[in-house]
Amino acid sequence: MTRVEIRGLRKSYGTVEALRGLDLVVESGALVALLGPTGAGKTTTLKCIAGVEEPDDGDILFDGESVLGIPAWRRNVAMFFQSYALYPHLSVYDNIAYPLREQKMSKDEIDKMVKSVAEKLRISLLLDRKEPSTLSGGEMQRVALARTLVRKPLVFLLDEPISNLDAKLREEMRTEFKRLHKELKQTIIYATPDYLEAFAIAEKVAVIKDGMILQYDTPINLLKRPKNRFVATFIGSPTINLLKGVVRRGVRGWEFSAPGLRLELVEVGGASSKIYDGLEVEMAIRPHDIVLEAQQNANTFKAKVLAAERLGYETVVTLSLGEVELKTVSKGMRLYRYGEEVSISIPGDRVILFDVSSGEAIY
Amino acid sequence: MRMSNLRNNRRGRRKIFRTVLIYFSTIIAVIFFIFPIYWLIATSLKTRAQAFSTPPLFVWEPTLRNFIDIFIKRQTEIEAITGQELELATGAETFFYNSFIVTFSSIAIATVIGVLAAYSFSRYQPHGTNTLMFFILSTRMLPAIVVAIPIYFFYRSLGLYNTHIGLILLYTMFNLPFAVWMMKSFFDEVPRDIEQAALVDGSNPIKVFYKIALPQVLVGLGATIGFLIINVWNEFLFALLLTERATRTVPVMIAGTRGEVGINWGLIAAIETLYILPALVLIFVLQRFLLRGMTFGTVRGAK
Repeated sequence: MTRVEIRGLRKSYGTVEALRGLDLVVESGALVALLGPTGAGKTTTLKCIAGVEEPDDGDILFDGESVLGIPAWRRNVAMFFQSYALYPHLSVYDNIAYPLREQKMSKDEIDKMVKSVAEKLRISLLLDRKEPSTLSGGEMQRVALARTLVRKPLVFLLDEPISNLDAKLREEMRTEFKRLHKELKQTIIYATPDYLEAFAIAEKVAVIKDGMILQYDTPINLLKRPKNRFVATFIGSPTINLLKGVVRRGVRGWEFSAPGLRLELVEVGGASSKIYDGLEVEMAIRPHDIVLEAQQNANTFKAKVLAAERLGYETVVTLSLGEVELKTVSKGMRLYRYGEEVSISIPGDRVILFDVSSGEAIY
Repeated sequence: MRMSNLRNNRRGRRKIFRTVLIYFSTIIAVIFFIFPIYWLIATSLKTRAQAFSTPPLFVWEPTLRNFIDIFIKRQTEIEAITGQELELATGAETFFYNSFIVTFSSIAIATVIGVLAAYSFSRYQPHGTNTLMFFILSTRMLPAIVVAIPIYFFYRSLGLYNTHIGLILLYTMFNLPFAVWMMKSFFDEVPRDIEQAALVDGSNPIKVFYKIALPQVLVGLGATIGFLIINVWNEFLFALLLTERATRTVPVMIAGTRGEVGINWGLIAAIETLYILPALVLIFVLQRFLLRGMTFGTVRGAK
């Protein structure tokens, strides 16, 4: 159980800045997801923590002590590499046993640990395979995972450990990770580009982009109160609706107005002082928050159905409202036809406003 | 039905034609390359008279005389003609020994230095890697003959002339660029992640080198050593220039072998046959590596 703290981490490769002052605190025993698109700096962050890449600036602390002076081979961190990085000249068994042998453990102990982790990951039958390159992608991934999990390190670093598995195995592994985390009670940092995976596994998620943490929060808060436009659009499917418009002082408080749309805003936790009459903003509302076939009340609008995609128990409905398009999700099995008129309601307390130029959330 | 039969027939005939053509051209190519070697071995098994007979003999009673002559004194024939006693044994064992010791030592040194240098260039990319790599290559840009005279004088004044060490150092130097360039390209193909994984798993960099990186380039190492050996084994110019009798290598000795009465082609062929044997065995053993070495891109670890 180790508390990991990263302070102002910077790293460039030539002219490319991979990390630009990254800060992150992972409490001891926590499972934190590092969520971001490809090239955001997830792998670089993990490699810096593992010690195989040296940061240009900043500090990494384990339990309050800097580890930058400790070389990778003495840092006692286990890392799963996105490319699996299996040792191609060693058998599956030797691959998994490798880190234990480097710790000079006894043969019997190693054998016991390798076999138990192999059983957990259901690769016991693969242990005798001589060439890891002949394994399937999913098998390789599990072997690499076994090599990581067989250890008892201070911190586990997992770089997209289940991204290449097929959907079913992925779902299984997600549950497996939660269970493993409960069992191991270890600090785990888990990098993934998939927000669903991050939400399913982690208690706290750090959204990373361009080498910086944009928001470090619980999944619920990331959904409800994204700090900026990128976090709002990166998380959630279908993607959050974004409409350009202006804030106006209305009769009953602040209103958002766009061509053909006027929306009363409900003040959550006191209106931000950044709001003023005539401020240009982008309004964001999650498709799931829009209520279809609503009763008449404030913020209810008539909209036309443009398209409907049925995804099993859900239907993604694209609507036109005045001059804007909105996506919404219908839970029922009802069919929507092109051109059909429906009434929708946009709950004022679910609306998020972003500053047009900075993209920061202001409401 | 009939149409498809006909088409099948035509396709079948075309396939047979293709196969015949492939075999025919393969046989021609093989004859082209094998014939000189065949002729060499054939000549080594002929007496002097048989070697010179016109039309050339394709059927004769083979003799091992020439092979015996390489190592054992035989004077009768010459004595009969000249009445003189002559030192006829070629002393080939010394020259073979020289060739072996020079090749083995220079390859060993060049390989060790070359592999370590290549790994450093590939992994640690010290400042000026590209410039250094270019300089290393540039030593091979001049034709050898250009530096022959300066090196001769260097060697004379440094006392390296006519020594094994001298030749070994020279061949090491000539082979290093080749070893560094070839091995670097092999190391470049080893995925970095694999070595980083080993670091994280608790191996220090030296262990990573010989436990993880080296095993993955074994094929490349085999290819490199193969090419280097062939380079050195066949070297003639500097061996001629920098050796005297005590340190002479086989290629130089062959060029200097003459019977006292005309050139004894049978004897020369016999020496050459012995000389190409190790190379043949080597190529046979290393053929898998050599092929891989020529098609660099195919050497891969996992994935």
